[in-house]
Amino acid sequence: MTATATRPGGRVRGSTRLGRRLARPGLWFSLPALALFGLFFAYPLVASLIQSFFSTKGGVSRPVGTANYARLAEDPLVAQSLVNAGIILVVQVPLMIALALGIAYVLNQSWLKWRTGFRLAYFLPAVTTLVAYSVVFRVMLATDGGLVNQLLGLVGIAPVDWLNNEVWAKVAVIASITWRWTGYNMVIILAGLQAIPAEQYEAARVDGAGAWAIFSRVVVPQLRAVLVFTTVTSTIGALQLFDENFILTGGGPNNATLTPVLYLYKVAFRQFDFGYASAIAWLLVVIITIASALQFWFTRDRDARPRRSAR
Amino acid sequence: MKRRIAIALAAATALSLTGCAMGGTAPAASTAPAVTASAKPTGSITVWSWDVAATALKRLATDYQSSHPDTTIDVVDIGYDNAYDKISVGLQAGSGLPDLVTIETDHASGYLGQFPQGFVKLDQVIGDKKTDFDPSKWAAATGTDGGIYMVPWDSGTVALYYRSDYLKEAGVDPNSLTTWDALIEAGKKIKAATGHTLMSIDVSSGATFGMLMQQQGAWIFDEQGNVSVNSDKAVQALTVLKKIHDEGLLKNVKGWDGRVSSTKAGDSAVHPEAVWWIGTLEGEMKELSGKFGVVPLPAFGDSARTAANGGSNLAVPAQAKNPTLAADFAAWVLADAKNQASMMKNEGLFPSYLPALKEPIFTEPSAYFGGQKVYELFAEQTGKIPPVNFTSDAAKASDIVGNAVVAAVLNGKDPKTVLDDAAKQIATATGRQIAG
Amino acid sequence: MKRLGLAAAYLALVVGAVASLLPFWWMAIASTHTTSELFATPLPWLPGGQLLENLARLQESTAFARVMLNSLGIAVVYTAFSTLVSAMAGYGLAKFRFRGRGVLLGLVLLTMMIPMQVLLVPLFQMMASMGWIDTYQAVILPFLANAFGIFLMRQAFLDFPDSLVEAARIDGAGELRTFYRVVMPVALPQLAALVIYTFMSQWNAFIWPLLMLNTETSYTVPLALNRMIGLTRVDYSGLMLGSLLATLPLLLVFLFFQKQFIAGLLGGAVKG
Repeated sequence: MTATATRPGGRVRGSTRLGRRLARPGLWFSLPALALFGLFFAYPLVASLIQSFFSTKGGVSRPVGTANYARLAEDPLVAQSLVNAGIILVVQVPLMIALALGIAYVLNQSWLKWRTGFRLAYFLPAVTTLVAYSVVFRVMLATDGGLVNQLLGLVGIAPVDWLNNEVWAKVAVIASITWRWTGYNMVIILAGLQAIPAEQYEAARVDGAGAWAIFSRVVVPQLRAVLVFTTVTSTIGALQLFDENFILTGGGPNNATLTPVLYLYKVAFRQFDFGYASAIAWLLVVIITIASALQFWFTRDRDARPRRSAR
Repeated sequence: MKRRIAIALAAATALSLTGCAMGGTAPAASTAPAVTASAKPTGSITVWSWDVAATALKRLATDYQSSHPDTTIDVVDIGYDNAYDKISVGLQAGSGLPDLVTIETDHASGYLGQFPQGFVKLDQVIGDKKTDFDPSKWAAATGTDGGIYMVPWDSGTVALYYRSDYLKEAGVDPNSLTTWDALIEAGKKIKAATGHTLMSIDVSSGATFGMLMQQQGAWIFDEQGNVSVNSDKAVQALTVLKKIHDEGLLKNVKGWDGRVSSTKAGDSAVHPEAVWWIGTLEGEMKELSGKFGVVPLPAFGDSARTAANGGSNLAVPAQAKNPTLAADFAAWVLADAKNQASMMKNEGLFPSYLPALKEPIFTEPSAYFGGQKVYELFAEQTGKIPPVNFTSDAAKASDIVGNAVVAAVLNGKDPKTVLDDAAKQIATATGRQIAG
Repeated sequence: MKRLGLAAAYLALVVGAVASLLPFWWMAIASTHTTSELFATPLPWLPGGQLLENLARLQESTAFARVMLNSLGIAVVYTAFSTLVSAMAGYGLAKFRFRGRGVLLGLVLLTMMIPMQVLLVPLFQMMASMGWIDTYQAVILPFLANAFGIFLMRQAFLDFPDSLVEAARIDGAGELRTFYRVVMPVALPQLAALVIYTFMSQWNAFIWPLLMLNTETSYTVPLALNRMIGLTRVDYSGLMLGSLLATLPLLLVFLFFQKQFIAGLLGGAVKG
């Protein structure tokens, strides 16, 4: 192919007649999604924002201005849930991405046998229904006679009170998230890996690069967009954690595994204060936006050099 | 041009949404809708329930339809686990609910408090039957205006299940377990003789603590709605549990699975639980038949020897399309001795309708319990359950209480201190006063 | 030395695979026992003989076969349309610069960031006012535009060589044709990943179908399984069996589409 060096995203449009003609297709392609979001998300989004300025007591909703937001600052459970989410984020996401990347890289190697089998084994956790996997994990993590403690006993470790101990409950939640989603992220990274042309590996080897150098200089940069995707979505997932702790620990023991979304669910569906729940939600949106923006910024493509030019 | 249109659209949407955002929470009328009894209701209704309750309703719906021409009753099993999500969203949104919903007693006050316009007043249909029902259930189904909003269904009358073989081996007479102190002493004897703990409970759920409070007529909130979780009676209840743990007589298990496994494994000698536990014993632990007996709960002094744990009601949402038929069906099923007795027989649901407790089935001996007439015991106790005031803030309090119970029982803290602390937390969270 | 590295790699993979599969093995065991056997201590390690009884009970209590078909229909329709919408939007956002692109991307990400729980009530009200409660369109349409999918496709297309698109354009192909004939086939690995993800998320979707569907025969698989968790009795063995059966279609989708990874490579090969 001829070498047409272009910046990612195409050349600047809008300035020439050709450019103007080409800018509009972007809008057309996005139109179905735009229309659907407009139809179905606009109302609930705005409604929840408006709702956050109301408070409900005894079935009566009164507007309370920013009282709900002020309450966020004083509510110890909000702070605790954010800290818990932060701890889980900092431990679980890097762990999972590293695992997913490592597994995907090994599975991508040509010398590997039983590739499909391994892929299946790792992906399987992601396809289980929440209902089933929560029951199984609760049983497996039971303090007395649970499978995990039985296995630990085989190597001489005392039973761990997984779901009743504040520290171990966090570990249990982190472990179950990792169990469930590593394979899923691996599949996505694998797709990105397989788009890397073989010639690049060859060229690097010819240049004398060792395995680690190939990995860090050839592979990882080309996975940038995919890694950004998995990291950002895993971060959002961690900050929005609900399923695992809802099922396994209910936020306990003593709110050790309470996360913001679980807290807002309890406020909305147990205490029926939808206004305050909305305020918590929008606080979370702000935090997630900042976290994602930071991640995008840190992983931005600093090279102005053209990428993807064929040789 | 486009921008201006966009802004105008956004403004219009926002304005129209101010009304919508409040959804079903704005009071539609100043008083709750009421339904009158009808001699010949017709039409069709949809009913939501779960588990064996749904089975019972489907069966009785067929009977009702045969004896009431031109009626159609569609019973839907919505599952238990997330039923309240559906119900809460429907109440909040003001639409989407059927004509009749099942709501458990411990959720009743919460819904009635938060959605005072959400349900239909049933005074004209069952108002005259107050004394025919379990008092604790009637109280929980009463709204803040004194009207009755739900029809009580089944009662979770609590008694003490015991392993007759363990007690026998230790030489303990079940009828001597009349006070909690006596039970603790017996527990020591049983442990020494058989090695078994006295009881296996899920400490963090706070359910057992609740039973011990309720039998004394105490609760997290008092009759005036003030916070009373740190009252002397509550402290006494928590102290008993702590003592049982400190003497090495308590086994802490987690959740439903934990309790069932522990019972199946025969870990402990006694188990304070509601009448519906019989269904689980007979269903999951057939091999233990003949090894159980039941006595009333031990007392605190001259307190009642029973409490309530569980049980449901039927309620008619205000948005029901055919409230008359719904109310009539509910009353026909639940305020009827024969129908309630049939539900005991077929589905294991213990009636809160007291006249039903005189039916023959309740005096039959039970083989599972070594020939004891267990239902007679529960029937006798049902009319004695002390009512408690759940209030609309039950949900806010339950986590706080659970943590306090764990702190005192498992982590060695002083009961009075943790309950005082819990009372403060609950008061802050709910805006209520602590009872003086 | 290399042999050691190889062995270590395999060992690590196998250990990981076992950890991944352990819960499934337990589910399989549980499917073949009665519920009360599952509470015995110690837990059973080997299969029991109750498989057929559990299957019969599963079918009887939830009409499982019908429920599987419901889920299949919904998931297939949803996946087909959602994948298309996501691919198109992802392409538009990645390859073109137009006014409001940043805003649109921001909105897309916003929908991903807001916890779904707060949107439930207003969305429910919308469905109720449109008379869509207890319909399949209410289950499929509101979440058809999926932020994750759009984001995934955008990232995939960002990495996509512009040279191919340019070449097609120079050859005179219209944008739509370029998209269908040139871009989509080459983006097959990412598309396959998207299809798998989309199918899976709709198949396992729980809270929204739960709120929308009120007729037992129209339930999807997660709803039917959830019904087995009763108040005082949980049909654990039936639940485990149903859950295992529920993963089968997902496995098939995965196996079929992951072959596309290998089939649709951009001039590269699976070599290291």
